[in-house]
Amino acid sequence: MKPGTRLKSVADDTEVMVIRTGGGTIECGGSPMAEEKPADLAPLAADFSAGTLMGKRYVDADGQYELLCVKPGKGSLSVDGVALVIKDAKPLPASD
Amino acid sequence: MSSPAIPLARWADRHLRLLAEETGSPRIAALTGDTIVGERGSNGDYTINGRISAGLGGSRLMPTRDGGWFALTLIRTEDRELLPALFLDDGIDVHSPEAIAAAVAQHDCADLVMRGRLLGLPVASADEAPASPPVELLVEGPHRQREPGHVPLVVDLSAIWAGPLAGHLFWLAGAEVVKVESRSRPDLIRRDDPATFDLINQGKASVMIDMASDTDKAALVGLIRRADFVIESSRVRALKQLGIDAEALVKETPGLVWLSVTGHGASGDAAMWTGIGNDCAVAGGLARALADASGTIGYVGDAIADPLTGITGALEAWRAYRSGTARRIGLAMSAITARALAEERAYDPALLRAELLGWAEANGQPFPKVPRRALAAEVRELGADTAAWLAC
Repeated sequence: MKPGTRLKSVADDTEVMVIRTGGGTIECGGSPMAEEKPADLAPLAADFSAGTLMGKRYVDADGQYELLCVKPGKGSLSVDGVALVIKDAKPLPASD
Repeated sequence: MSSPAIPLARWADRHLRLLAEETGSPRIAALTGDTIVGERGSNGDYTINGRISAGLGGSRLMPTRDGGWFALTLIRTEDRELLPALFLDDGIDVHSPEAIAAAVAQHDCADLVMRGRLLGLPVASADEAPASPPVELLVEGPHRQREPGHVPLVVDLSAIWAGPLAGHLFWLAGAEVVKVESRSRPDLIRRDDPATFDLINQGKASVMIDMASDTDKAALVGLIRRADFVIESSRVRALKQLGIDAEALVKETPGLVWLSVTGHGASGDAAMWTGIGNDCAVAGGLARALADASGTIGYVGDAIADPLTGITGALEAWRAYRSGTARRIGLAMSAITARALAEERAYDPALLRAELLGWAEANGQPFPKVPRRALAAEVRELGADTAAWLAC
């Protein structure tokens, strides 16, 4: 998958842009994310329902994956079942 | 050849005259537009550099596949990590300006701007229309009756140039200004451009807070509730995530005037975008105006959207303060540049055209020199006044 690809959650409203990816399955709300949203949403897995925050970058422990949240939702992000975490904020203001 | 005039400096000058008149400040009356828009480039010995921004050259204008011009500002190291996503190419050498320009040439301008803004990169098209009004009244709050001779208190949370310049103008007008910086991310130009930092932050008290500390955040909110003005340049969600709700504070605090400095607007999708002085000026149509006048596209002035926004913000906020009504005012740097350009074009089209032509012809020459302003007050060390201001 190319960086810059937009993925949508099939279980909630979350959308991400892929910044960096390995070969694993990118999930949200416990289900694999897709480029198109299905007509019927999959159920939100209880373990992956902490929510995503707009504009935050999510990474795995090895720094192999990085996703930017471009639309928030109730699900939380994971790769092959392992939760991603928020990357530290940028050291500059948004505008000057 | 003599040094070129900076286009739009006259607009800055006219608005400084207005601000001097309305504030009654002789110190603002002593400033000139040339100084305020040109002092950073002059003091920094910048060079006029065409399609590369003057000074550190963090912003570049590059041609796109469909004949457009794309401006990209890369001053944050971690922004380079986003370039593979911007260009849909994980093989790109993110540190090579040539590789970046080659990638730009393979995409359409609108796609790059759309994707760049989603990614939070400061990007612009030379041919876009501003997404927001230059000045937007976002919310109003209760009225405050002030005693004659009241000295306004300004809490300045902003960084770099536009917001701090507005705070500096308030200080010149006699306000007490408290500059608040976070321990983990102080204003970068305190270290990187001390000459500019000192000029626009002289006389301000310096408070350092730990944004991770609930005690510090509560003390900051307490300080804001006593203030007449707040100036900030953060994204709405960033402030909210810190526990500072601008809208709620303005609705609750009589007479509080809150300036939100943004690249492209404080509401809607544009509130998510980033913008920095040079790319915002491109988004405001200034690079296109240069091309129309001279046949050659390039940057005009030095991050000129910044000083134009600082002056506009001070004027708008001062008027709100005089009205006594609490207001949150959004400033969009791109639209402020577009408006200044349109007003200058209406004011004296032939002169503006001649200045743009002169600017294009000065490519490669030193940035125009303006007299260096002497410091009139102390520049406080980071955090020197924390105890004095956050104790209460």
